[in-house]
Amino acid sequence: MTTPSVGAASGAPPLPSRLSIAGLTKVFGGNRALDAVDLDVAPGEIHGLLGQNGSGKSTLIKILSGFHAPDAGSISIDGKPIALPMPVAKHEAMGLAFVHQNLGLFPGGTVLENLIAGDHGRLRSWRINWREEAARARRLFATYELDLNPNALVETLSPVLRAQLAIVRAADRIQEHGSHDGSAILVLDEPTPFLPQEDVQALFSMMRRLSADGVSIIFVSHDIEEVLDVTDRATVLRDGKTIGSFETREMSRPQIVEMIVGRTLETERSAGNTIQSDSDGGAIVSSIKGQLISDLSFDVRPGEILGLTGLIGSGYDEIPYLLNGSTTAEAGSLTIRGETFELASLSPAQSMASGIVLIPADRQRTGVVLDLDLLENISLPVLDRYDRPAFINHRKLRSNAENLISRFTVKADGPAQPASDLSGGNQQKVVLAKWLQLEPVLVLLDEPTQGIDVGARAEIYDILNALCAAGASVLCATSEYEQLEAIAHRVLVFDRGRVSAELEGDRVTKSNIAKACYLRNKGENERV
Amino acid sequence: MSGFDFKYEAERFGLVFVWIAIVLLFGAMRPDTFLTWSNFSTIFGSEAVLVIVTLGLIIPLTAGDFDLSIAQTLTLASMATAILNARLDVPIVATIPIVLLIGISIGIINGAITLFFRVHSLIVTLGIGTFLHGITLWISNSQTISGVSPSLIKYVIVTRVFGIPIEFYYAMILAGIIWYVFSFTAFGQHLLFTGRGKEVARLTGVNVGAVRMSAFIASGFMGALAGILYTGTTGSANPSSGTFLLLPAFAAAFLGATCIRPGRFNPWGSVIAVYFLVTGINGLSVLGFRTFVQDLFYGGALVIAVMVSQLISGRKERSI
Repeated sequence: MTTPSVGAASGAPPLPSRLSIAGLTKVFGGNRALDAVDLDVAPGEIHGLLGQNGSGKSTLIKILSGFHAPDAGSISIDGKPIALPMPVAKHEAMGLAFVHQNLGLFPGGTVLENLIAGDHGRLRSWRINWREEAARARRLFATYELDLNPNALVETLSPVLRAQLAIVRAADRIQEHGSHDGSAILVLDEPTPFLPQEDVQALFSMMRRLSADGVSIIFVSHDIEEVLDVTDRATVLRDGKTIGSFETREMSRPQIVEMIVGRTLETERSAGNTIQSDSDGGAIVSSIKGQLISDLSFDVRPGEILGLTGLIGSGYDEIPYLLNGSTTAEAGSLTIRGETFELASLSPAQSMASGIVLIPADRQRTGVVLDLDLLENISLPVLDRYDRPAFINHRKLRSNAENLISRFTVKADGPAQPASDLSGGNQQKVVLAKWLQLEPVLVLLDEPTQGIDVGARAEIYDILNALCAAGASVLCATSEYEQLEAIAHRVLVFDRGRVSAELEGDRVTKSNIAKACYLRNKGENERV
Repeated sequence: MSGFDFKYEAERFGLVFVWIAIVLLFGAMRPDTFLTWSNFSTIFGSEAVLVIVTLGLIIPLTAGDFDLSIAQTLTLASMATAILNARLDVPIVATIPIVLLIGISIGIINGAITLFFRVHSLIVTLGIGTFLHGITLWISNSQTISGVSPSLIKYVIVTRVFGIPIEFYYAMILAGIIWYVFSFTAFGQHLLFTGRGKEVARLTGVNVGAVRMSAFIASGFMGALAGILYTGTTGSANPSSGTFLLLPAFAAAFLGATCIRPGRFNPWGSVIAVYFLVTGINGLSVLGFRTFVQDLFYGGALVIAVMVSQLISGRKERSI
């Protein structure tokens, strides 16, 4: 049960809100991730929470789940103030449950095992009565009209069934604990990005059923269409502030996009006019097919930075990996300097040899080896240049690494320092040094400035611009529109595996990109 | 690194100092029996087999794989040498390449199962090792087999250089080769990156599968070589010869990773660790302790070694 206790004036008549957040603030090292955010959710309401990456959505959710402690502000449930920070692992008792994008299911376990996992009331007993639990699960699934066998393995379920299982589990848990008449809050954090249309509808009908039972739902999404479709009201966050809350049916898409993106100051564009119209150069991609991407063709000219972006689940971020063979494509080819590669059989070693390099997004797992030193990390792709005639010439290798460290302005004591000692920005510069020393023709980037401070970011932009000026073709997949505005000559916007918009030259602005992402082509997707 | 980093150098040679200290300690207590050249030349010679097994282990360990079958590869190779040479009268010059091929084949089998079925090498080599022991017991009828060619014994233990049996120098040559490969070849770096960051290695064009396979083949080869030397050292093969070498070899490999090149499996560290461990055991037995000190010492050393290496690396979470 809840233990409302902070010194707030009790005895006041309960507010109509199920959840009321006021003035919530969280500062991370001088950066206000949340700046006096207010949010009110009524009982039985489906409430959308919208905002771009970095708008504060995730910080807000993390405060609600007790992961972060807020610096200021208050939260109350059914008018009763909650002591902050939220107690970890106690939210179910307060009638609060979360379903995150990864769903928190254990794929190798059965539906039933997953359903009762973490249900301490059951697991603490000395003997789990599996037959009774299975019967209970069947009743529960019947209530929600879910066709689920309690003994099926979760890994054999379709994505939508998994999502529904996670939601039913959360709903069951809070209804079991929150003794007071279904007064529960379910937070759904982007449960839909990888689901096909029909399946999203199945999820929505489940959400509507729950809300009809009196459960309040906070639905976090990037997707305006979905928010318009399923929510009663919505709140938009931008740069850590509440921009506004509204009745969904009174708003149009452009109005919502305007709220999400805001009127932004123009970023200083550094993309120069160095694109060469040389038809031989550059890279031509034809009919590639990956997990989400299908039958996609485009080209990148020499000296061009081509941006790829879209909402989460649109598939743009798999393209860099398909083009260097680190993820095997189902089909498609890449032509570079007149040489054509079948992507289904391309290996990273071949692509390296042909002047293609990949700067992956997951720096700490795929970019550098943290416990090895800078010399070793930088030298890995060029060892064969230094092991002539018979052994590695450590002196030359070291001076090569020293040159690169200073050329890429890596702040480090020297090549013998382990990569783990460096800041994210400097690690990324090490990764760039490692790859760009190969003087590549095609550079594939995935989120090149993720988690990197502003200063290092600008330096990385300079490096990329210099690369273009030297005639390389650059492909940059990113979810940061500002970055594309700053450096891209041209941007392809993706929606469900296909290009939905192409922006070029002066049209490459943060707000144009955002509009293209959020206002997907109507028609087939129209469903309001 | 500019100048002399005292702390780092102390860490590198810490085990060497501890080794010298125990030599002096036991020497002071039993100057007549322990501190004699014949005692040390025996230790250096007879433990060359353990050095080679340890060197064989650190190759897959660097690539992130365990070869628990290496000790049973040794036993089988030792037995095969004796059976081929003493029972079937295969000349020793033909026996040696056949036995080495057996070792290579075992490496290929370990590697193929680990890589193709994507099973952890710990499990694969545990099973294969036990299987090999079964084969050894089968072909030997659980008997010790003696009567191997005197020329093998001559070129393993009888010939002495500076009073130390020649097999010691074989082990040192192997350590030198591995040191060279680890330090001065692209393959050595590929091994290291495969062990520390498989994804980084793969995305940098390293054929991770081929590297791991090579490591298994190398350890199979070294296990077989150690088996041949074992037969040469004792003049016979017994069906449980390798069983008691696996744990000491692991202890030495991990202990060796705390010195010379701290934080990495390295050949000279392994050599020092082997001789540190056997000196300790030899000293304790000279003092009159019975055989249980072996288990205390090897087991304790393995656990202490991994604790120390975790302290060196700042207690980071490791997969194994």
